[in-house]
Amino acid sequence: MNLERLPNEEKLTLCRKYYFGGFAFLPFLWLVNVVWFFKEAFVKPTYTEQLQIKTYVKRSGLGLLLWVAVLTTWITIFQHFRAEWGEVGDYLSFTIPLGIP
Amino acid sequence: MCSNMVRCLGDGNTSLQKLATSIVFFFCLSDVSCNSVEQKIYVELNNTVPCVRLLNATHQIGCQSSISGDTGVIHVLESEADLEWPLSKGPNPPYMVLLESSLFTRSIMMKMKNESNRVAGVAVVVPNTSPPEFSPHTTCPNENTGVYSDNYGPNLAHCNTTVWNPRGNGLSYEEFDFPVFSLKEDNETEFIKQCYLDHNRAVNGSAPQYPLCAMQLFSHMHAVTNTPTCMRRNDINFSINPEMVCDPLGDYNVWGSIRPYNDTVFGHKENESVVIAAARLDSRAFFWEVSTGAEGSVSGFVTLLAAAQALREVTHEAPPTRNILFAFFQGETFDYIGSSRMVYDMENGKFVIDLDNIHSVLEIGQVKNLVNNLQSSTAGLSFLLVEPNVSQPLPPSSLQRFLRAQPIPGIVLADHESAFNNRYYESFYDNAANLNLTYPSDLSPEEQLEFVTDTAKSLTDVATVVARALYKQAGGNESLVNNIKADPKIVTQMLYGFLVSSNNSWFQAVMAPELKNILKPSPPEYYVGVAMSSTPTRLVQYLLANLTGAATNLTQSQCQKPDELPNESRQMYSYLWVQGIVPPNSTERDSFCVRASVRLTKAVSPAFELGEYASKDYSTWTESRWKFIKARIFLVASRDLEMLTLGVGVAVLFTSLLVTYFISTKADVLFSSTREPASAAY
Repeated sequence: MNLERLPNEEKLTLCRKYYFGGFAFLPFLWLVNVVWFFKEAFVKPTYTEQLQIKTYVKRSGLGLLLWVAVLTTWITIFQHFRAEWGEVGDYLSFTIPLGIP
Repeated sequence: MCSNMVRCLGDGNTSLQKLATSIVFFFCLSDVSCNSVEQKIYVELNNTVPCVRLLNATHQIGCQSSISGDTGVIHVLESEADLEWPLSKGPNPPYMVLLESSLFTRSIMMKMKNESNRVAGVAVVVPNTSPPEFSPHTTCPNENTGVYSDNYGPNLAHCNTTVWNPRGNGLSYEEFDFPVFSLKEDNETEFIKQCYLDHNRAVNGSAPQYPLCAMQLFSHMHAVTNTPTCMRRNDINFSINPEMVCDPLGDYNVWGSIRPYNDTVFGHKENESVVIAAARLDSRAFFWEVSTGAEGSVSGFVTLLAAAQALREVTHEAPPTRNILFAFFQGETFDYIGSSRMVYDMENGKFVIDLDNIHSVLEIGQVKNLVNNLQSSTAGLSFLLVEPNVSQPLPPSSLQRFLRAQPIPGIVLADHESAFNNRYYESFYDNAANLNLTYPSDLSPEEQLEFVTDTAKSLTDVATVVARALYKQAGGNESLVNNIKADPKIVTQMLYGFLVSSNNSWFQAVMAPELKNILKPSPPEYYVGVAMSSTPTRLVQYLLANLTGAATNLTQSQCQKPDELPNESRQMYSYLWVQGIVPPNSTERDSFCVRASVRLTKAVSPAFELGEYASKDYSTWTESRWKFIKARIFLVASRDLEMLTLGVGVAVLFTSLLVTYFISTKADVLFSSTREPASAAY
């Protein structure tokens, strides 16, 4: 979808939909929001709806950073300690490697 | 056909190119392998046996390779001092060390285990002649699951008084994180050594030049850590690819009795007193499945089978007061799998008799009441029985599991007083030669089958003693005892079939038609395994049925459904249809139905029935699963050459991208037409 052709109100509703959608444990929507609307929010010359789009993009960015931090920490801990956790590690795993602890 | 093609292509345009392609085509059609580059690079090794991973409640033992195989430069080890080449001095690690059997010792293997980042794997050449002694088993077999523990006879536990297997180096119970394969002494091994001599030898002290001869071993095992972990991973059904990673070791026990029991009535039987005669069926070796167990187990169960046959007549004429139950236990090598299961079944009312029904146990063995019976039977035979000192513990035996449950009088009959006489206990050298089973060289296989060896004669004497002792112990008529004699012909045929070649005419005659494929020209393997269908169990089942049972007149269909006949009952007997012998003047076998009181009972450790995978009381041995096992050798190039080739390739890629880009941007300059259109408008 080419944002150039959309009127500004529709850009705002789209940005808002992606922002609220991301709260349903969907951080990729926030990623899309940040990447897609970055030019609109910060690079383009000012227009009425740009302030609101800017806040949505900033908040999406913050949420995205939070998710990345949480997931990175959990993944590092799990990959490192799964073998030591024994039973708990196995029940949390979706696929267990063969032949190595 | 191809020559026609040459002519067809040849008419008209006889260019060299067409001729060349047709010649190549011709060669390709006639030589099937010309299109396989893989066969030009790799030489597959076919006669190899791997070492696999086994797990118990707390440990894993055996060998593991990485999932894509372990590759190493071959090094043929000349002596223990030569180990410093692969372990420290050699310039091209990792190395694949090839050992002669004399160098397959604990010290060399442990040194390689400690430096395992420079050792990719080990290949052991197993010769046809045995070394003076070799036992990879531990010095104290089954020390934690016998009757002696810290609570009962602590001074006798853990071999504090008698070390049963002093020659044991414990290699079978070590964990190696590189693959260990065995090779036979044949053309393949010569080829490997030749490859080593051609490419890998250091000339005048300088490092050998690439390309070097390398070997790659694949034996990736799926199970890890210990039995509770691998059984838990077997059961997880949430994961995206549920895979079984290990299986419990186990098979079936074979038992038979003089008087039959109803197979559906379990538990204690009133006024029933039974003498149990026991032997073990299985053994093991360092490598997977290759186990011959001649002195360790075959001598024992062959003697018991011969004794059972010797008792058949006299127990029909004058049945003794007590019943005699012949039990052959599987899995005894791995913490008494079979006997612990039978004792468990007896304790929980799942077997035809109860522990209270047992009068005594004779494990081809000796304790107070039985002493008089045995010693008096030996009058006139070729050996002397000796009762050891009262402070001597029992050797590792199935009787220990019975004693663990209940005090029962029992005897273990053995050829050693303290330490084993067997120099190859649980090793791949415990074969026919270890029992001195030799045949004159000019005999055909059928003649060898019938030839009565000295070993057979001495085992026959032991079987006679055992049979007479069992008859007296069961309260039989004393005057008939001296009529009991074991048959040396049967003993020698069994020794031939179990230690030289199982595909002989006698075994073929006693087996069922659908099972004749398990008979092979080599001796059977006595490793208990996980498939619940091992050859020795089946052979002993059918032999016991033929030797103690009766041939009947039933037809094949009646043999499968005997309950329709008035006098036959499947609950009391088992009915087996066997092939029979081939009569002299025909090609059809004389098959018949054998009725015998011989049964199979499951011999899987009670730990798996109860789900107690970390059990300290029962065997918890499991064997890992794997996808494929293979070995191959090939010439390997230096790492520098590989990196150079890769680098050149990447450079060519980028150069071509750059050239394409420049050409496309300057396309109008490069490809402009030099001729102006003729129709210039003036």
